Amino acid sequence: MATRGTNPNFMNGVPELLILRLLDEKEMYGYEIVQAIRNRTEAVIAVGEGVVYPVLHGLESDGAIRSRRKTVGGRSRIYYTVTRDGARRLAELTEIWTKLAGAVGGMLTGGRYAESIG
Amino acid sequence: MPRALDELRERLLRAGVAPRHVRRYLTELNEHLDDLRAEEERAGRSRFEAEAAALSRLGSMDVLAEAMIGRRQLQSWSARAPWAIFGLAPIFTLAAAWFVALFILWSGWRLFLPGADTPFGGTPYEGFVNIYFQVGRMIYFGAPFVIGWGIGLIAIRQRLNVAWPAIGLILLAYLAGTAQVHANRKEVLNGIGHIGMGFGFGSSGQSISDGLTHILVILTVTALPYLAWRLRKAITASA
Repeated sequence: MATRGTNPNFMNGVPELLILRLLDEKEMYGYEIVQAIRNRTEAVIAVGEGVVYPVLHGLESDGAIRSRRKTVGGRSRIYYTVTRDGARRLAELTEIWTKLAGAVGGMLTGGRYAESIG
Repeated sequence: MPRALDELRERLLRAGVAPRHVRRYLTELNEHLDDLRAEEERAGRSRFEAEAAALSRLGSMDVLAEAMIGRRQLQSWSARAPWAIFGLAPIFTLAAAWFVALFILWSGWRLFLPGADTPFGGTPYEGFVNIYFQVGRMIYFGAPFVIGWGIGLIAIRQRLNVAWPAIGLILLAYLAGTAQVHANRKEVLNGIGHIGMGFGFGSSGQSISDGLTHILVILTVTALPYLAWRLRKAITASA
């Protein structure tokens, strides 16, 4: 099997992965992040929008992102950007997610993962 | 700020989330709410409908609270390690303040009273010498009160129950109420002067009574801000 160890944080890690992916492209604020997730996932991933902030605070507390208050178009907001540690974490999460998504996809389409179980 | 967010703040603080994270969370939620409201109004909703839709999209208060409370790294130190904040920290802070106060006493004794057997009493101090010793006295006697009020302030900011702040204040009052400073020039070679500290009530009835009174006074004065806050909270809740 591609991944033998269990990963209890797998589902919990999805918001982190999406947020790090977006912030790796450009500096964004919370509302902008939520809209970007909704647009890119075609609203498949939609949660209470406010829960993005605990995730952001947690990532910042872990040193994966940093924040600064910035005024754009007359509105002051807290913008977030990825740090070097965050980029490393994004690479790790992306690798884990890709393997797991591949494994689940293989199961659903009757690939070798399904055969190994059967 | 909507009333729901006020309630969210109280809930998060009571759950032990650090006040700085709570403050920032609410600021960001408010800003997010403004953006959502504007978006809904642009979509043709009335102000009232836009407000309701924005709050709904933001998430229920339960979801918003749980998302924050579930992250241990966002908890305050007084929630994660109350024994350190209300037990150890006041003792170390008091020890540091008393070290400074006693150093001022000892250095003043050496510099300004080289012939005296004790830095206490004797000839009255004047001018700079008086100020020097008074600063030391102020630090020595003021430190327990300042630290006690600090304990109260932390407890108020983080909406803590009485148990841990009470332990901290009682410990502080006991140390401050039983502390005794001794100064002796004969105990050390070359007579450079020796200052030490001890903790106890003494053996006479009068000294025990004085010590207990001292403890009670310190405890009462340091607990006052916290007690006033609890009283105010109780009155507000019953109104």
